[in-house]
Amino acid sequence: MSVISELSHIHVEHPQSDEDRRAQRKAAGRDNKAGYLFLLPWLVGLFVITIGPLLASLYLSFTDYSLIEAPQWIGVHNYTRMLGDERLHQALKVTFIYVFVSVPLQLALALAIAVLLNQGMRGLSFYRSVFYLPSMLGASVAIAVLWRQMFGTDGLINQVLRLFGVDAHTGWISDPRYALSTLILLHIWQFGSPMVIFLAGLRQIPAMYYEAAAVDGAPRWRRFTKITLPLLSPIIFFNLVLQIIGAFQSFTQAFIVSNGTGAPSDSTLFYTLYLYQRGFGQFEMGYAAAMAWLLVVIIAAFTAINFYASKYWVFYDD
Amino acid sequence: MTDLTARTELEPPPGVATRDTTTVGPRDAGRFRGSSVVKHLLLIAGALTMIYPLVWLLVSSFRPTDVIFRTPGLWLNDIYVKNYTEGWNALANPFGHYLVNSALVVIGAIAGNLLSCSLAAYAFARLKFRLRTLWFSIMLLSIMLPFHVVVVPQYILFNKLGWVDTFIPLILPKFLATDAFFVFLMVQFIRGIPRELDEAARIDGCNHWQIFSRMMIPLMIPALATTAIFTFIWTWSDFFTPLIYLTSPESYTVPVALRSFLDATSGSNWGAMFAMSVVSLIPIFLAFLFGQRFLVRGIATTGGK
Amino acid sequence: MAVNRRQFLTGGLAVAAAGMGLAACGKGSSGGGGASGSANLQFAWWGNPVRNKNTTDAIAAYTKAHPNVKISPQPGEFSTYWDKLATQTAGNKAPDVIQMDMAYIAEYGKRGALLDLAKHGADTSKFVQGSVDSGKIDGKLVGINAGINTPTILANPKIFEQAKVEMPDDKTWTWDSLRELGAELTAKAGSGIVGMGVFFGDAMLSAFLRQHGKELFTANGVGFEAADVVPWFDMVLGYQNAKAIPSAAALTEEAGKSVDQTMLAVGKAAMQMQWSNQVEALTKAAGTEIQVLRYPSMTGNATDRKAWYKASMLWSASSRTKYPDQAVALINWWVNSSECANINLAERGVPANTDILAEISPKLSPTQKAMATFIADIKPELAPTPVAPPPGGGKLNDTLTRYQTDVLNGRAKSADAAAKFVDEVKSNLKS
Repeated sequence: MSVISELSHIHVEHPQSDEDRRAQRKAAGRDNKAGYLFLLPWLVGLFVITIGPLLASLYLSFTDYSLIEAPQWIGVHNYTRMLGDERLHQALKVTFIYVFVSVPLQLALALAIAVLLNQGMRGLSFYRSVFYLPSMLGASVAIAVLWRQMFGTDGLINQVLRLFGVDAHTGWISDPRYALSTLILLHIWQFGSPMVIFLAGLRQIPAMYYEAAAVDGAPRWRRFTKITLPLLSPIIFFNLVLQIIGAFQSFTQAFIVSNGTGAPSDSTLFYTLYLYQRGFGQFEMGYAAAMAWLLVVIIAAFTAINFYASKYWVFYDD
Repeated sequence: MTDLTARTELEPPPGVATRDTTTVGPRDAGRFRGSSVVKHLLLIAGALTMIYPLVWLLVSSFRPTDVIFRTPGLWLNDIYVKNYTEGWNALANPFGHYLVNSALVVIGAIAGNLLSCSLAAYAFARLKFRLRTLWFSIMLLSIMLPFHVVVVPQYILFNKLGWVDTFIPLILPKFLATDAFFVFLMVQFIRGIPRELDEAARIDGCNHWQIFSRMMIPLMIPALATTAIFTFIWTWSDFFTPLIYLTSPESYTVPVALRSFLDATSGSNWGAMFAMSVVSLIPIFLAFLFGQRFLVRGIATTGGK
Repeated sequence: MAVNRRQFLTGGLAVAAAGMGLAACGKGSSGGGGASGSANLQFAWWGNPVRNKNTTDAIAAYTKAHPNVKISPQPGEFSTYWDKLATQTAGNKAPDVIQMDMAYIAEYGKRGALLDLAKHGADTSKFVQGSVDSGKIDGKLVGINAGINTPTILANPKIFEQAKVEMPDDKTWTWDSLRELGAELTAKAGSGIVGMGVFFGDAMLSAFLRQHGKELFTANGVGFEAADVVPWFDMVLGYQNAKAIPSAAALTEEAGKSVDQTMLAVGKAAMQMQWSNQVEALTKAAGTEIQVLRYPSMTGNATDRKAWYKASMLWSASSRTKYPDQAVALINWWVNSSECANINLAERGVPANTDILAEISPKLSPTQKAMATFIADIKPELAPTPVAPPPGGGKLNDTLTRYQTDVLNGRAKSADAAAKFVDEVKSNLKS
């Protein structure tokens, strides 16, 4: 079961009678000591590395904290400042565009290729490897460096375009109209990871459904929309949720391609990059903490929307 | 509920024929052949386009910088090794120093994840204890928590402990199972191991630790391998955490060293930059080559229905 | 159960200990302070190839003379230097000796991140009048003048020759005539060469504002209003329309390049705005003698320029350094010793120590001699030195570049850009 369906099914096991409940509780406590002992590292990590900092970060978001001097309580000032902070709005805009353009495109491409590969091809594992490799390498600084060269004024892309007779002299990454698109392209290039998940899911669709549909004379396209998509929908949903959450947190590529500035004209100022600039570059840790909480709220909101909408299109066959 | 995915191999459940991807029915034969050529062409074109930048990067690392900016093609006339020697020695330490730093961090991270995540996974999958459901839900939710909301206080915590500019902030969290994704992966895996084995061991008088260490761990090797390889790749490429914690050049890991190389040459010595980029990608590529099986199985297992 | 727990703990602890052992490896062992004079100093600077070599040589000379002091160099690039320093300072790992700039000295000084150098024996007794105060924040001497410079326009005479254009009279030109000259050079020099490379930055903005009776910053904060900057943005656009400066995209790519990679250095521009001390590095990179010119005035009269001397950079020390005395000793040696002066000459600017200046003057290269003469010559054109930017003011150049890029790309009109620019500069100061 995926993370998502796990969460959706968590509350299924309610005992019915008093006796059952007592028996449950007894059974539940059976391995208490061992259970908590095994869980100890994770519990320590949860409180010390996650929950503690989470609460501390909430507190800090109400302070002005430069790290060199002690935090000073300023109430909601950081939050009200965010309302008027034009660069923050720009960062939100850039990040939203990035997330809601690159994730659907990436998933659509991953699904399309997975479907293509699933139809009895020779060399499946070769193609799968080739398409999967970029997503393994893609998060690295090295690839971001390559991308920066490729889309420069005299980079690979322009050189290839010139071979085809196009007078290509735009510096893609130094033009505010196109810089973000190069990063979107980089994200889409890494479709291999969701593709592999889709492939695995496709292989599990019982062939008898397709055979039945073929017997009924249903055309290929119908088979896709009526069988493949619904049966694959939990996996699509899973990928959608995780990819969106991941995309909101993108940092490395924007940092390297824009040299940490979000240039040109803040067109690549990802939210996390702006957070880093404020917190680690301008000694405004309190503001950075407030920004981080805003990010949590945004991600939680979209995840909740996703879960809610999933009722309408995700089909669990159990 | 069908337990389709909690299995080590992606086998079909008994009684259901899954899509056979290797044979083709007689009725489709003619149609298939024509469209399959088109398909193959499309896929090959796609695959080549995808891989081209990587191959070009490799080839260009053997060209001097000015040639790189003139040559989109892959044909290599002379092999210019100077990029590698220059790049290797361009920073304050030879590049090998940073490779070693990264290796140390990665080894620590893998050890941490393997140990702590397997312990937690065993507890969640096999042990009954109070509040187990609650902790499990929290663990799943933590997979979705953006890292940046905790980075500031974590930084302050490590700062006050004096651990900034050491590898501790990069490795210690792994020993505390903060990569919940792997806990989940292992839980799924363990669920596929028949409980009869546990019970047999119990009858033999083994306690939980013995069941865990002597029986479960060996059976979990595929999941452990997947964890190790994913941890390797993610940690090797991790940029943000070393960026904020490793402040003196001699502690840099490879991604940060690469970025400081980019600064130092400010985009003038692309040849050496490419050479060191290739060097930094080789370990990931190797991990990918040898570990592909586990990677594919691993993410398919967690992503399935 | 007892067996379970013991096995569990020992097994787990063993692996954890091994991991932590690895984790503790972070840096090479740092030498302990304590014993008289022995120290391990982290020394950070930004530079160019010429400066990097000088600095490394000087470090070698110092450690030879003081064998119990170890110096770990941290060279860097100006554009990324400040992020790195901020991160290091936040992590309590700031370098012991820090090359500091006027743009950030108030930021670090006011937050208590810099050492009070006077308390540890800093010696500025031979410094020329007026060159010490720029390093004082709230009465504490937190930075020592590392060299004097002034904003200039550097020009490559070879390109002028190639374009058959006469070198200008820098005592009488105006912002408008500079634009004409730039356009002419772009048209005539051929092969993709532009008249002026990077020019519009905070230094020229300061000059422009001063010529209009305003300043970038005053003791009370921002020293200008949106209305003052509208003509500036118009002028930037005018230069581009006349093709005196390169395209917005090319300018974006220039940002972040080190001095020896800029257009003037690689022969793609005839002129460029630089600080006077950078003429040495640019001459080396361009392979030809670069000339130092005054920047223009509104009136065509150089004495109306409102020029100023700037501490090109300063030497500071971290307030958390474990070796305050040794750090200050190094700084003292750097600015007061003949040995160091003979290695660095005037690459960081004209030495503030008058004795040292007298001593090295004969040894300066022709380029640096011309620069030193220039600095002396412009005395009649000076106006009061600008105030150091308050905390948060160090980002002004980045902010200005962003709005200029918007205007040049047609994404914003001058009036809007000016208003937003001033707002942002003001809000940056509040923190």
